Amino acid sequence: MNMNLSKIKLPSGYLSKYGIFIAFLGICVLLSLTTPYFFTPQNILIILRQVSINGILAIGVTFVIIAGGIDLSLGSVLALTGVVAASFAHPGTYPLIVPVLLGIGVGILVGAVNGLTITVGRVAPFIVTLGMMTIARGLALVWSNGRPVTNLSPAFNDIGGGDLLHIPVPILLFVLVIIISAVILKYTRTGRYIYAVGGNENAARASGIRINRVKLFAYIICGGLAGLAGIVLAARITTGQPNAGIAYELDAIAAVVIGGTSLMGGRGSIAGTVIGVLIIGVINNGLDLLNVTSYYQQIIKGVIIISAVLLDRKNAQ
Amino acid sequence: MKFCSIFSLLITGYLLSGCNPGANQDGGKSIVVGASMLSLQSEFVVNVKDAMENYAGENGVKLIVNDAQRTADKQVQQIETFISQKVDAIILNPCEVEASSPAVEKAKAAGIPVINVNSETSATPDGFVGSDDEESGTIAMEQIAKLLGGKGNIVIIDGYMGQAAQIKRAIGAKRILEKYPDINVLAEQTAEWDRAKAMSLMENWIQSYGDKINAVFAHNDEMGMGALQALEQAKLKDKVVVVSIDAIADALQAVKDGRLDATVYQDAKGQGEGAVDMAVKLARKEPVENKSVFIPFQLVTKENIASFLK
Repeated sequence: MNMNLSKIKLPSGYLSKYGIFIAFLGICVLLSLTTPYFFTPQNILIILRQVSINGILAIGVTFVIIAGGIDLSLGSVLALTGVVAASFAHPGTYPLIVPVLLGIGVGILVGAVNGLTITVGRVAPFIVTLGMMTIARGLALVWSNGRPVTNLSPAFNDIGGGDLLHIPVPILLFVLVIIISAVILKYTRTGRYIYAVGGNENAARASGIRINRVKLFAYIICGGLAGLAGIVLAARITTGQPNAGIAYELDAIAAVVIGGTSLMGGRGSIAGTVIGVLIIGVINNGLDLLNVTSYYQQIIKGVIIISAVLLDRKNAQ
Repeated sequence: MKFCSIFSLLITGYLLSGCNPGANQDGGKSIVVGASMLSLQSEFVVNVKDAMENYAGENGVKLIVNDAQRTADKQVQQIETFISQKVDAIILNPCEVEASSPAVEKAKAAGIPVINVNSETSATPDGFVGSDDEESGTIAMEQIAKLLGGKGNIVIIDGYMGQAAQIKRAIGAKRILEKYPDINVLAEQTAEWDRAKAMSLMENWIQSYGDKINAVFAHNDEMGMGALQALEQAKLKDKVVVVSIDAIADALQAVKDGRLDATVYQDAKGQGEGAVDMAVKLARKEPVENKSVFIPFQLVTKENIASFLK
């Protein structure tokens, strides 16, 4: 198949740009042929709802990775912001805006601490966010006393399970995050600075870009979006779970990499990340529909992820 | 990994500062008990730990609690530390059947009495207080069979594959399924004890099996609640029986509200208190009549829910 593709003369850059999208369509076609339950409007809506949490996380970490960093604390921040938001969301206590702002606020705070330690403290992002991974998990356990925070108001739960204009709220939030993020990265000066800093830090510094501020901005966006994702997750499962989101950062980072964003920084896009998120979501859903046993699911998932990226890289050459 | 251990040290220090070592009984030296717990991120284990701490506090026993974070290797290290601290007795809440066994053997070699709480190791400790996890799977599946009238289609949501609780609950359930040939397992899949994952799994199953599903058996309440929410959103809950295990607060409330059909109660308080009690007796070399205490599981349904809600 690869040979055929390479023989066809396409406008240069066409396949490198759309390779991953073609892989995504391929997976969808394959699933449509193997199970009648895949390509139905209802199932597509379910997939979109299921991917929205990982999607919001992945978009946040896209900013950080393009800026040349990494964030391993996402899953723990998700749990921390979830339990904090949930404890202000009991029925008849605070208006809905309070848990929402607090959840996002705590996420921003964690992102700022990550960003400042990395820029001002000059510690490697991998180390800082690995440390934050256990700190945030510990804080979530301390805050909640190791127990899920239950009894949340219906209005709060609607953030995860409700509809607005017949569309599930998590999907609306995901789409909103996609649009805003794509605009920031593509059309603002800060967005261009993020690419510049990740691509070549020294050159960016020489041209007068304030590196630390740009990096801090990326980590704050990432933290804030992790906070939003934490709220959506808590609302979806109608509890704040201190042990939620374990290893969720791996799915988010996998989606970013599948989407063609370079782990070395400087290259990538929101559109790519969205495709990466959809690929992971479609695989999870499809393997359940086909009732593939859990042992094989893990193997198949890994193989598909690596193949998708391989196809993309081959075409990019 | 270093970060984890530094952090668990901090947590241990925090927990220790909450203890009250001044309460000596009989004017003698107070008994020190070291406890290594499977995971303080599990609500049930936290309940056992709380029961142990309260009981220890009431009886003037100094209790040191460590979190093994589901890692048998870490658990063995914690027991080694207890041995060098010369504690009077050790309570072990094992991470694994095989891999935690060296912890038991090391304590015995050092002459410190060791009591397993909640689950077993292949090495034999000086005492055991817990429940037989197979029984919980048996009770849950028996209830499903009863509610289905002995026939129908079910789906099973497994715990984290390969962990003792998942293996034993699955064995217990299978034993009942063999008695009911008309109950057909449509699908079985893990959701790794996680509510969000169980909810997604159930949504996907509703797509492929729809109203063919008559009942759901989940290995714990977290996953049972996730499946329940997916069924409620698809407006199918009236037609599907959901039964899970652990009797966490959320699940008890759901049973009371008539949403969850049944859960299986495991007595955290009884296990925690029983373990500390036996540890103290063994440390004081007092006679213990029964060195294997099995605390039975109990089925919780709408009929008897009142006695489980505090």
